[in-house]
Amino acid sequence: MAQMIDPVIDWIRGMLAPRGRPHEAVTFASLFQTFQRILELNNRILELMADMGAKLGGDYVFDRQYIADSSRKMANLVYELIYNFNALAPRKYLDLDDRFRHINHDIEEELAGRLVIPRTQYVMAYDIITGDFDDVVGGKNAHAAEIRNRLGLTVPEGFAITTRAFGSFMEHNGFQDRISGILKQWEEGEISSEAASGTIRPLIASGAVPPALGRAIQKALKQLSKKNDRRPLHLAVRSSAMGEDSEHTFAGQYLSLLNQPPQRLAQSYKEIIASAYSSHAMEYRRQKGISEHEVAMAVACQCMIDAKVSGVLYSFDPMDPASEVIMISAAWGLGAPIVSGQVTADRFTVSRGRPFTIQSRQIVRKERRLALKPDEGCDWQPVDPALQSRETLSEAQIRELCEAALTIERYYKCPQDIEWAIDQQERLHILQARALNVRSRMAPVVCDVASVTDQFPVVFSHKGVIVQNGIASGEVYLARPDDDLERFPNGAILVARETSPRFAKVARKAAGIITDVGSATGHMAAIAREFRIPTIVGTDTATQLLAPGREITLDAQENAVYLGRIKELCYFNFMEDAFEESYEYRLLRRVLKKITPLKLVDPHAKLFAAKACSSFHDITRFIHEKAVEELTNINFHHGLRDETASKRLKSDIPLDLILIDIRNGLQALSDEGFVTREQVRSIPMGAFLDGLCSPGAWSREPMSVDFGGFMSSLTRTFSSHQANPRNVGQNLAVISDTYANINLRLGYHFNMIDAYIGEHINDNYAYFRFLGGVTEPMRRSRRARFIYESLARNDFIVDLRGDLVIGRIKKLGASLMQRKMYLLGQLVGFSRQLDVKMTDDSQIGAFVSEFDRLVQNAMTT
Amino acid sequence: MTNAVKTRILVLDDEPIVLKRLGPALEKAGYFVEVFSRGAEASGRFQQENFDIVITDLKMEGLDGMQFLTQVKERSPRTEVIVITGFATMDTAKESYQKGVFDFLAKPFKLGEILETVKKAEQKIQQNQTA
Repeated sequence: MAQMIDPVIDWIRGMLAPRGRPHEAVTFASLFQTFQRILELNNRILELMADMGAKLGGDYVFDRQYIADSSRKMANLVYELIYNFNALAPRKYLDLDDRFRHINHDIEEELAGRLVIPRTQYVMAYDIITGDFDDVVGGKNAHAAEIRNRLGLTVPEGFAITTRAFGSFMEHNGFQDRISGILKQWEEGEISSEAASGTIRPLIASGAVPPALGRAIQKALKQLSKKNDRRPLHLAVRSSAMGEDSEHTFAGQYLSLLNQPPQRLAQSYKEIIASAYSSHAMEYRRQKGISEHEVAMAVACQCMIDAKVSGVLYSFDPMDPASEVIMISAAWGLGAPIVSGQVTADRFTVSRGRPFTIQSRQIVRKERRLALKPDEGCDWQPVDPALQSRETLSEAQIRELCEAALTIERYYKCPQDIEWAIDQQERLHILQARALNVRSRMAPVVCDVASVTDQFPVVFSHKGVIVQNGIASGEVYLARPDDDLERFPNGAILVARETSPRFAKVARKAAGIITDVGSATGHMAAIAREFRIPTIVGTDTATQLLAPGREITLDAQENAVYLGRIKELCYFNFMEDAFEESYEYRLLRRVLKKITPLKLVDPHAKLFAAKACSSFHDITRFIHEKAVEELTNINFHHGLRDETASKRLKSDIPLDLILIDIRNGLQALSDEGFVTREQVRSIPMGAFLDGLCSPGAWSREPMSVDFGGFMSSLTRTFSSHQANPRNVGQNLAVISDTYANINLRLGYHFNMIDAYIGEHINDNYAYFRFLGGVTEPMRRSRRARFIYESLARNDFIVDLRGDLVIGRIKKLGASLMQRKMYLLGQLVGFSRQLDVKMTDDSQIGAFVSEFDRLVQNAMTT
Repeated sequence: MTNAVKTRILVLDDEPIVLKRLGPALEKAGYFVEVFSRGAEASGRFQQENFDIVITDLKMEGLDGMQFLTQVKERSPRTEVIVITGFATMDTAKESYQKGVFDFLAKPFKLGEILETVKKAEQKIQQNQTA
C-alpha cells in the first residue's frame, strides 16, 4: 500500500499547489497524507496481530526473543499510529497516550518475567472464564471452567475469587511487607518453615476482607443461588493457585473445605489463602524453584455435589502405560477419602479403545461412606448393608466416564488424573482434572518411533498446511457438504472437502481434522486452535484418498497421514511437554491478551472512548474510526479548509457520505451543502457509486423470485435497523477527477477503497480493504470469506488474514477499471446485507453465486 | 534401525523452548539427537563425538554461535551446519555461507521447514560418502 500511496500524495500536492493558496493547500495534502499513513499503519498492525496469533498453532518454533521483538514492533507501530493521529486531531485524545503507556508497561512487565496481576474483577463466574484466565483464576478454576465451557462436560456451578482479590486483601491489610520480612528470615535460614508458617497463617486469618471484595462475593453468591434454583447453597471452597494443576502438581499441598455455608465464605476464603503459606507448600515451592513473590492464590467456590458415588480415574495405568487401560476407583459417598486413602474402593480396569471393554473389576466391601451433614461439613455414615458389596458403577456409567476422560485427555494432550462424582440424580460431574505423569514409564514404549512409523503405509504427506499441531488417530468420518454432523462419532477424524464453521459443532468430539481446501488464517484455524485439534487444511485430495471408517493416524507435526493406528506416535505426543503448556506459549498468549482483544466495537456506545481502550486493538480501532470523523469534521462540518470543497452526497440510499473534492471531482457547485450523483465527475467515485446504487446491490427493491425465496429460508433476513443512517456510520471520500479514497463504515464493518483511473494504463489501480468488526469469530469469517471469494472470482489479487480482506487490481484500461470500481460498489452494497444469520458454508456459496449473477447481469445490460 | 546407523545431530540454542521442540521432533523423525543450551558444553561434546549435522543459533547470550560453527567446520569439515537465528542480516548470512554453512533458517520457522532442511543436509552427506 505504501508504494501506491506515495506517488498519489506527490500528485495531490502538485495538484493543489497552483490553486493560489499554497500554504493551506499543502496543509490539506499533508493532513490527507497523515490520514493515509494512519490507514496503512492500521493494516500493518492487523497483519502483525494475525501473524503473532498464527504462532499459537504450534507449527512454528519460536523463542522468547521472537515474542519480545514482535511485541516491540507492535508497540512501535501503535505508537506511530497515535503520533499520526495526534497530527490530525491535536491534543484532542490525550487519553490515548496514557492508555498506550499503560498497556505497553504491562507487556514489558510480562516480557521481563514479572507477574502482572491483571486488573480484572475480584470474582468471576465460571461461564465467563476461559483457559486464558489461568493467571487470574488459578489452574483449578481455569481447568474446571474450560472443561465446562469448551468441552461441554458437567462441572459444578461456581465462581472464582481471583488473584486480584488476593492482592487486594493483602494490600488492604498491609500484609505484604510483613510477610516478605518473615519469608526473608525463612529463606535465609533464620527460622524454620513451621515457624514462618505459624506466624503468617494466623496473620492472614486475622485480616479483614476489603469491603469491595465482600460486596463482589455477595453478588456472586446471589447469582449462584439463582443458578441453583434458589435452593440453599452448600459450597466446596478450594485453593486454585497459579501453576497448580499445570506443570507443577501441588496435589494436596493446599486446603479444600467441603460443605461450607455461604455465610461462612469470608472465613473459608481466608483459611484457604492462608494455606498458601502452609509449611509443606512453602517447602514444595522452594524445591520446585518457585519464588515466593509468584504466590497469588485464587480460590474456587463451587456448589457441593451431594454424591451418590465418587472416585478417581487415571486415563492410563501409571505403572504400566503400555497396557492401554483406564483405571477407575469408586466408592459410595464423597470422594475425598478415596484420594487420601481412607477407604477402600471398587476398582475397574477398562480398555482405552471404544467400546471401553471392562477388563477387570474388583468389588470390595464398602461399610461406610463420607456424606454431607445437613448444616455444614461432612461425617461418616454406615452404608446400607444391601449396597455394601454391590458394584458402585454400571457399565453405562463406566463408558460415560471413559468418554469424558478421553475428551479431556485429547484437549490437554496429556494423560489425566480426574476426580469425579455422580449425584443422586445419576448425573456425572467432573470435579477436577490434572496431568497424570506417566512419562518415565512410557519412554520404552516409544523408544523408536521412526522405525515404527516406517512399517505403516503413508496415505499422503506434505500436502496442505498445518494449522494446529498434534497427533491423532481414529476412524475417518467423511463429511458431505450437506451433512448435519449429528452422527459424528466421538474420537473420529473429520475429513471434508472444505473447511466450515459447522465444524465447530463437532469440535468437542473430533480427534483431528483434514480438509481438501482451506487457508491457514481462516476460521477453521481459529476453531482448531481453540479446541487444540490437530488439523491440516488444503491437502487437495484427502476426501478422495481416505475411505470412511478406515482407521488412520494423522501426524500434524510432520504433515503426514498413515493408514492404521500408530499408538507409539500418539504416545510420543504425551512424552513431550504439550506446546500449549510451555512458558513461551503462555507468555505469547498473555502478551497477545494485551494486544488483540477488541472491546470497542460499537462507535455509538458510551464506552467508545479513548480512555476505555484496553488493548492495542482497541486503540487501533478507535483511531481508525475517529480519523475518518476528524477528516470529515475539518473539511465539512467546520468548513475550515476552503481550498477544498466538501459536500454531502444526496442519494436514494441511506448513505451518509461526505465528499471532499481536491480537484475537479465535483461539477459546478451550488452553495447548497449537498451534491447529487450527476454532479460527481470523479471517474472512480462515479463508477463505485453506480455499482453501490445498482439494482440488487444496496437497493431494497423486490428481488428475483429465487433469491427472495432463498433469503426467506434464512432464519433472519435483512434487519430494518440497517436502513437507518445513524447505524450506517460516518462515511467519507476524498476525490478528484481521476482519484478516489473512499472510507465506509457499514454497521461494524469498515470498507476502504483507494483507486486511481487516469490516462496512463500503468498508473491505474484499485485497492480494496474490508475489515470486519464483529468479535464473534464465526460470523466475521463467513462475511470475510464471501468477500474473499467474490474478489478472487473477479481477478483481484486477494489476501485474507483473520477478518481482514485485502484485494488489489492494477494496470487495466480505464473502462475495465471502471467496471471493477462498479463491481466494488456492488460488493460493498451486497455484503452489507450479509448480517443475516448464515449457519454454514453452503449459504456462503449461494451468496457468492448470487453475487456472480448480479455482476453478470450488470455487464450485459 | 539402531543408534549406530542413525544420522547424528547436535542442537545448540540458548533458549530451552527451541531445544524442547526440536529434540523430540528430530527424534521422532528417526535421528539421534543431543541438545545443548550452553556453548561450552556443546563444544566439549563435539570434541569427543562425531555429529553429522549441527544445528546452532548464531546470537546467544554470552556466546558466539559463529565461533562455534567455525570450530565445528575446522574439526569436522564433513559435518553440515544449519544456522537458525532471529537476527538474520545479510552480513551474518553471508559470513555463515563463507564458513561453509549448509543452510540458514530465520526464526521463527516451521517444524516442517527444519525437518526438510535436515533431510537435504542428510542427502548431501550421503552423496559425499558415495562419491
